[in-house]
Amino acid sequence: MLKTRTKDTPNPSGKKQTGKDTFTAYLFLAPFLLTLLVFFFYGFVRAVYFSFTDYDLFNPPKWMGFRSYLNIFQDDKFRIALINTLLFSFLTTALQTAGALLLAVVLNQRIRGLMFFRSAYYMPSITSSVVITLVFLWLFQKKGIANYLTTQFTQYTPHILLFVGVTVLAQILQVLLEKAKIRQAKSSFQISWFDPLLLWISVAIGGIAVLVASFMGWIQPRDVASFDFDWVYNTDKLFGLLPIPLLFIILMNTFTTIPTLMLFFLAGLQGISSSLYEAAELDGATPWQKFRYVTVPQLQPVTFYAVTISLIGTLQMFDQVKVIGDAAPLDSIITLSYYIYNYSFRGGSSLAGMASAAAMILAALTLLVVLLQRQFFKDEVNR
Amino acid sequence: MKRSLLLAAALLAGAASAETVVKLNGFAGADVAIVNDLLNKIVNPALAKDGIRAVFEPLQGDFNAALTNALSSGTAGDLMYIDIFVAPGFIKTGKLLPLNGKVSTKPFVPSLVKAFTDTGKVYAIAKDFNSLAITYNKDLFDEADVAYPNENDTWSTFADKLRKVKKALGNDYYGICLPADFARFGAFAFATGWKTFDSKGNSNLLDSRFKEAFNFYTGLVKDKTAILPSDLSQGWSGGCFGGGKVAAAIEGAWISGFLRDNAPNLKYGTAPIPRNDKTKKRGNFIFTVGWAVNKDSKVQAAALKVLDQLTSEKTQQFILTEGLAIPSRTSLQSNSYFNKTTQEAMNAKVVFEGASDGYVYGYSFKQYGGDWMTPVNAALQAVMSGKATTDEALKKAQSDLNSVMKR
Repeated sequence: MLKTRTKDTPNPSGKKQTGKDTFTAYLFLAPFLLTLLVFFFYGFVRAVYFSFTDYDLFNPPKWMGFRSYLNIFQDDKFRIALINTLLFSFLTTALQTAGALLLAVVLNQRIRGLMFFRSAYYMPSITSSVVITLVFLWLFQKKGIANYLTTQFTQYTPHILLFVGVTVLAQILQVLLEKAKIRQAKSSFQISWFDPLLLWISVAIGGIAVLVASFMGWIQPRDVASFDFDWVYNTDKLFGLLPIPLLFIILMNTFTTIPTLMLFFLAGLQGISSSLYEAAELDGATPWQKFRYVTVPQLQPVTFYAVTISLIGTLQMFDQVKVIGDAAPLDSIITLSYYIYNYSFRGGSSLAGMASAAAMILAALTLLVVLLQRQFFKDEVNR
Repeated sequence: MKRSLLLAAALLAGAASAETVVKLNGFAGADVAIVNDLLNKIVNPALAKDGIRAVFEPLQGDFNAALTNALSSGTAGDLMYIDIFVAPGFIKTGKLLPLNGKVSTKPFVPSLVKAFTDTGKVYAIAKDFNSLAITYNKDLFDEADVAYPNENDTWSTFADKLRKVKKALGNDYYGICLPADFARFGAFAFATGWKTFDSKGNSNLLDSRFKEAFNFYTGLVKDKTAILPSDLSQGWSGGCFGGGKVAAAIEGAWISGFLRDNAPNLKYGTAPIPRNDKTKKRGNFIFTVGWAVNKDSKVQAAALKVLDQLTSEKTQQFILTEGLAIPSRTSLQSNSYFNKTTQEAMNAKVVFEGASDGYVYGYSFKQYGGDWMTPVNAALQAVMSGKATTDEALKKAQSDLNSVMKR
């Protein structure tokens, strides 16, 4: 714990001590500050300068003023990359934040094997994004597992529908029967529609119904063509706006980032006083009302932080686009970070000046988006 | 005792400092083992007397991006791979040493020397090369009772054979595996007489000759005679071919090594790319990688000696017999290896002959590099997957290409 000093007792050597402390602090901070100065500040200043030149990495840069910026806005690829980046950033941030919050609430319960689930759900975050991308490409290829399972689902739709139908019906009948019995016995006992014991019996009845129906030939697998959806090399757009390959990357990125954000929310949940929940319970609040009126407002500072780092991270997403490479149409996946990389390192014919201008626009965009979201989410400091 | 130890240490230090180390930058992956094998077995023993030792330092990840970075920051090796694909861009940087007067280019195939020549100066020596050929599965053709592809085939007779194989073997088999890639399709476009760049440096994808090849290539997929590699969960047509469900593939000599490791029991033959029905000519690409010398190298003389060894007859013989590529030295092209009757040797022979038969162009797109191909590949994919008609796809590709060339 840090030692705090008060001004109650004058200390003659106080000034000297403060100077020594400050020096020690800077000494410890030196490696970080030096890295920040060389690789970030110096790099940023250089990039600002290059954005106004025709720099190609090899020849001395010539001053061009705003020409690179003008050229960029006339470049189709830049416009596509900008739209893709914004779409990707907002959708992924929304999905990641909502998913992480829900997962954190679930993993904050007292359930058996909690440590295992927490570790298992955190795994995608510590796995290399390159590896995850390759695994996803494998799962979602035309003859991949995702399409295979979809084919199986459509093929066995009659079986699935019969199973679900009979199970639901059996459960309703069982619960109604039990309710009637309770009424008859004039007991105060209440039975839930999702009573676990009755649910197990209903599932068994559903399973037997499917087996009998199949055996008697009343239901048969449907003769459907195999589902050959191309998730990666696809030029289609969802709702005419979101390219399918970009949706694929959104799903992948959401999967890998939810665990990190979940950890923040989990820490936030641990900090919410149990007295608030107790008070809500005394007022007769339902689980949803407790979540809506206690959990969500109490987690606002964490949500602000999670949304901020998610927006910054997604606006700069690069690795997954690079790994997918030629496997998807460039226009469907190109983001601003990939655009900058592509224009900087083009086998000798670099357009580093133009790429620097794009980098400046990306930096300005990141700043703007974060400033805008501060207007909607107030963190503790800004309240 | 102490004195003799000091003397020995001084001698050792002297010996170590007398050795000139030449750093080589190349591809990572499979090339690391091959190049290190070459250095250990051939290059370094030959240069030991001169006190030169070559060390291979592969650049990880995207090679061209890493090399651009290394060259611009002055950390590149003394010798480096330059792919014909990006050679114009790297030559333009002024960081490569012109080899005129320093290396004799006479022993090398002229078209390969030309591939690395700019305004009369040679900037790299092709270490080897490849062209395209038809590799076919003998068992599938036999089972379908269809004649093998051969040197007399035209586009129509070749397509006819593929259709017959497909018909005879059923839905699980395909005549050929065709990627939506100009690196393969281009050979057909060239066969019509079409060129990547006209005399004014423009590219015309709306040319009737380009369209003719486009319709032939995509038509094979549309009528299900051909299949895209991705539809068989493969990344390239060699992968489809190795799986045994595809009767033919268009690849270079690199497929031999792949099949030897991945489908050792597959019996295959090799035929030249078929001729265009009208022009009666074949089209083909030359794929090559050269060794270039860093202009800023501090050990240029030693680097040139290493270059000499890396492109020597002995080295190229090794490359040829390993089934990796075709030598770039003219003297080796009458090598007895080409007369062998093994399937690898016969494949190498057809690939070698492909480089000088018909309309053959280097796999290079001026300073545009891979950006030139992106719109063409997108058009191929759109038509092959039934998302667009030929006219729609080519119109969009031409418009996108114009934007690329305007940058």
